Amino acid sequence: MRNLLAQAVLVLAGVLLPWVIAPAAQARTTAQNNAAALPFDAHDLSGVWQLAPGGGGQGPGDNFPPLTPWGQAKYDANKPGYGPKAAPGGNDPILKCDPTGFPRILFVIWPFEIIHVSGRILMFFEGQHTIREIWMDGRQLPADPDPRWYGYSVGKWQGDTLVVETIGFNDKTWLGAQGQPHSDEMRTIERYRRVDHNTIEFNLTIDDPKTYTKVWYAEPRLIKLKPGVEIPESFCVASEEEEFAKRIREPAARQTGKE
Amino acid sequence: MAKASLTLVVTVLFLCTSASAHHGNSAYDETARVPLKGTVTEFVWTNPHSQIYLDVKDKNGNVVNWGIETNSPGILTRAGWTRRSLKAGHEVTIILCPAKNGAPVAYIGSGDPGTKVVFTDGRELDFKDKTASR
Repeated sequence: MRNLLAQAVLVLAGVLLPWVIAPAAQARTTAQNNAAALPFDAHDLSGVWQLAPGGGGQGPGDNFPPLTPWGQAKYDANKPGYGPKAAPGGNDPILKCDPTGFPRILFVIWPFEIIHVSGRILMFFEGQHTIREIWMDGRQLPADPDPRWYGYSVGKWQGDTLVVETIGFNDKTWLGAQGQPHSDEMRTIERYRRVDHNTIEFNLTIDDPKTYTKVWYAEPRLIKLKPGVEIPESFCVASEEEEFAKRIREPAARQTGKE
Repeated sequence: MAKASLTLVVTVLFLCTSASAHHGNSAYDETARVPLKGTVTEFVWTNPHSQIYLDVKDKNGNVVNWGIETNSPGILTRAGWTRRSLKAGHEVTIILCPAKNGAPVAYIGSGDPGTKVVFTDGRELDFKDKTASR
């Protein structure tokens, strides 16, 4: 009798268990889908976002157009810690807390917040606690801007796509962690299109005839919303970075003949 | 001496293609995952590189202080860490990517899956982003 009862319980459990487990799993999947399906305004990009992993790694990619002789000399002088030329040590400018610069700041592994204010869109990057401003008041690009780490940017909506054009860069930054160079003649065009609540499609065009023989269309990437995330204080402080370099980076990069 | 402390441990090889630190990690062997047991001496919660310092006994009983580079406080916070997650005196095993040159320095972080800190009671600190959307 007891065996019969035990068998009955097992059979009942076998029948009921999928009814208990399946809805729970379904609820989780539905919640994820619902988050992406939440309503959104394509012209409101407010929120904290981060580039999703994808082709190009921490930069616009290794598949850049042929370099000019000027560009080649600059590329040869760059010694990155990442990509096809990676080697320990190197001379990546950010190792000394130099400003990351644009467009590289978009490709680092930290989030950024998009803030709409009157006449401007601000990008507030966790990387080096940096603000970048994009003028949205209809102004034209300046004729002869002073060179800057992040350039001078104006934006406008073309349908549901935010198009941002930037000039006025200095030539001290790299385009990505792989050491891709650029000149002060660089002109970039960014396109952002919010395709669902959680996702922006991102395209970047780099036109720098002093460095590259053709216009560079970077690998398209997705930018994903990070709900609930706040941008923490995240300065790169040269004195702290020097201490870190002394204690860890330099011992790790020292040539011993063993590697 | 540092090399000697590695002779006791097992190296697990697997491919790792994702990006690691924001400037690249070529000084470290990112194909290796090496467990290193020791006592935390210092946890530096600093941008852009937090650091864990660990006293490790080699096979001769000599104590070597290892320096272990890890992610920024922002990334660690999103993975569930706080500045109080590690304290001097904590006994831990760290699964790490050692320096290629054999120096007592290493890397753990979000770009190298499988790297983590394991406490003696089995609790773990890893680098999985708890805030990512789909």
